[in-house]
Amino acid sequence: MASAVKIGLIAISAALAIGLSALATGLAQSRIGAAMAGAIAERPELVGISIILVAIPETMVILGLVIAFMITTLKSAK
Amino acid sequence: MIVKMAKVEILGLKDVALDAIDVIHELGTLHIEDLTERIGKMESKRVTRMEIDPRFGEHESTLNNLRAKVGDMIRELGPNVEELSSQDIQREYRAVWSDDIETMISRINKSIQQIEKDTREPVEKKSDLMVELSRLEKYAPIMGKVQPLAERVARMEDMASIALIIERKYKAILNYLNEEISKITDGQCEIVASDVDDESTAALIVFNRRYLKQVHDFLAVQDVNQVRLPSDLARKPIDEAVAEVRARIAKIPSELDDIERKLSKVTGKYSVQLIASRNAIHDRLEAMEAVPKFGQTDQVFIISGWLPESEVEPMEKALGDKFGSKIILTVVDVREEQDEEDTPVALKNNTFSRYFEIIYMLQKYPRYGTVDPTLMFAIFFPIFFGLMVGDVGYGLIIMVGGYIVHKKYANKPFPSMIGFIMTVGGAWAILFGVLYFEFFGDWPLRWMNRLVTVNGSDEVKYYIGSNKTIVRYPLDRLEGFTLFFAITIVIGLIHIGIGLVMGIINGAREHNRKHVMEKGGLLMVLLGFVIAIARFGLGWWPKPLVAVGILMAVAGVVISGIGGGMGGVIESLVGIGNIFSYARLIAIGLASVIMANVANSLSRQVAGGGWIGIIVGVLVFVFFHGLNLVIGVFSPSIHALRLHLVESFGKFFEPANYRYEPFKKTGGEE
Repeated sequence: MASAVKIGLIAISAALAIGLSALATGLAQSRIGAAMAGAIAERPELVGISIILVAIPETMVILGLVIAFMITTLKSAK
Repeated sequence: MIVKMAKVEILGLKDVALDAIDVIHELGTLHIEDLTERIGKMESKRVTRMEIDPRFGEHESTLNNLRAKVGDMIRELGPNVEELSSQDIQREYRAVWSDDIETMISRINKSIQQIEKDTREPVEKKSDLMVELSRLEKYAPIMGKVQPLAERVARMEDMASIALIIERKYKAILNYLNEEISKITDGQCEIVASDVDDESTAALIVFNRRYLKQVHDFLAVQDVNQVRLPSDLARKPIDEAVAEVRARIAKIPSELDDIERKLSKVTGKYSVQLIASRNAIHDRLEAMEAVPKFGQTDQVFIISGWLPESEVEPMEKALGDKFGSKIILTVVDVREEQDEEDTPVALKNNTFSRYFEIIYMLQKYPRYGTVDPTLMFAIFFPIFFGLMVGDVGYGLIIMVGGYIVHKKYANKPFPSMIGFIMTVGGAWAILFGVLYFEFFGDWPLRWMNRLVTVNGSDEVKYYIGSNKTIVRYPLDRLEGFTLFFAITIVIGLIHIGIGLVMGIINGAREHNRKHVMEKGGLLMVLLGFVIAIARFGLGWWPKPLVAVGILMAVAGVVISGIGGGMGGVIESLVGIGNIFSYARLIAIGLASVIMANVANSLSRQVAGGGWIGIIVGVLVFVFFHGLNLVIGVFSPSIHALRLHLVESFGKFFEPANYRYEPFKKTGGEE
């Protein structure tokens, strides 16, 4: 039973790590995306650079994924 | 590699100025400097901007008109430029071009008149038919709606009807019209309405014929759209008119096709002439527009600009041969002039790296005198891409697809470059796929029975080593996550380190000691940091090295601070964060491999139920892997780009103000 609780907590922690960072990334990308859509309307040549700018906040969710994965490995290290 | 440029100033007697401009235009190697600003700053007013001969001014407006006319004809006739032979265009260009502007204008005028004569009739008919079609298409739905009502009205001899078309958002106006017309007709009126489409509503007002004039007058004041049929249809009964409108709508497209066929024959005959004329006009106008960028005194003209060092001698020779001592070409030392920032940049890379110059579609060229990072991008981008995709199946599809695009669009720079990069990236994906032992996910592990179920989860049976050793095969991405994470940190250090070394070289070339210290300090911070944390992953790592690493990092922060001030200190701390950004190399790949494995599990589960199950299983397999492949191409490309543009280039890249764009004739190939 204790082991099941431990695994459940590990799973919740991993979910929080990826979930919260994904929310943060989504929030940042929505703002950058909206701003870049406006910028592209005026200067279409910014399309390329806008894709890069939208990708910048993805670092958060990527690090979130890394942390989530590291947390799940705790299961095997128990 | 950035091409070595020379700045030259050409001085000559004014009477040969136009001929000299022609020679320079023909050579097509000089990037012209606009002297307007320099002349404006001069105290002496002896030097002024060169003015175009008023006689040529008139030609300029004629040529501009011709350009508009030729452009309109090209748009109308729409020749397929890609199918035209460049030799034919060049031959025609030489036939059109003349050193004498008047002769050239007359030649172009003559050919335009001939083309107009041959195309006027079909072009006009085509335009008439298109207008008719669009008008009838507008009427058809309205008439369809009012037809049943109108037929009933037609049977009542003492009643008249008027059809209206109203924007749907103003539909409420019909109530008002009903009230008002009821007043006019003494209650002998009815309005029936029906929506035609999302935007409009058709209405039919039926009323006693006696009030026809009053109702018409009233509607005219109300500014509503009455549906007025074309005069030839207006007199016919509505059912006949509707049938005729429908028949015309069905017939016009075939008439348009006939005209298109006729036009394409004429277009084929004249398209080379039109394109060559357009190019010749463009070149002539470009030469005229360049004149105000030059300078002049009472006696001499001055042209200033840059050209590749290797092109100085041919230009000197061409000018010397034609004008002798009337023209002097002087090479100016760029460094003495402190002019490096304004020097236009041209790149010359080997065949392989040239395709990777695509990155300069996203940002400016590197500044003159700095290091060109194209080779670095050409090496690392496909490796990063392959590292993230890392699947033999996906890699094969990407490589073959990329190669087909590269070959098919060999004449179009953008798709050709993308195709080549995908071919190389796909090859790296195959290589990493072999290392990861992945072919559309975990199939090879299953085929070779290398997966064992322990406590309900799959574990890999390694051919070499185990999940506790660094050396192992296959390098399973899921089980080897921690090892891969460490590897990506090292890759980040190498990649950013190369960027910093380039920054140090740039600083040294500019004799900027502070810049060198800032970049050098940051490099020390990163190296020190990795040396210090290596012990967390490598048990055998000597303890004293941790202290050495920390000392190096602290010294690096100090040196960076001395070189770049507070900005340098902040930059050195941010640099450590930049290294962790390389974790995306494993994270993106991990997401991809998990999705591939999910696709495999799902398709295996579904495929268990007989033939239908197998078919559904294949569909599930194709759908999920297809989706994963699309994401697997897009996402790694974006992230590999970002690692270059943000993490690495950010450490050294200085953008150029200008690209080398020589003043040259299109020669029939605009």
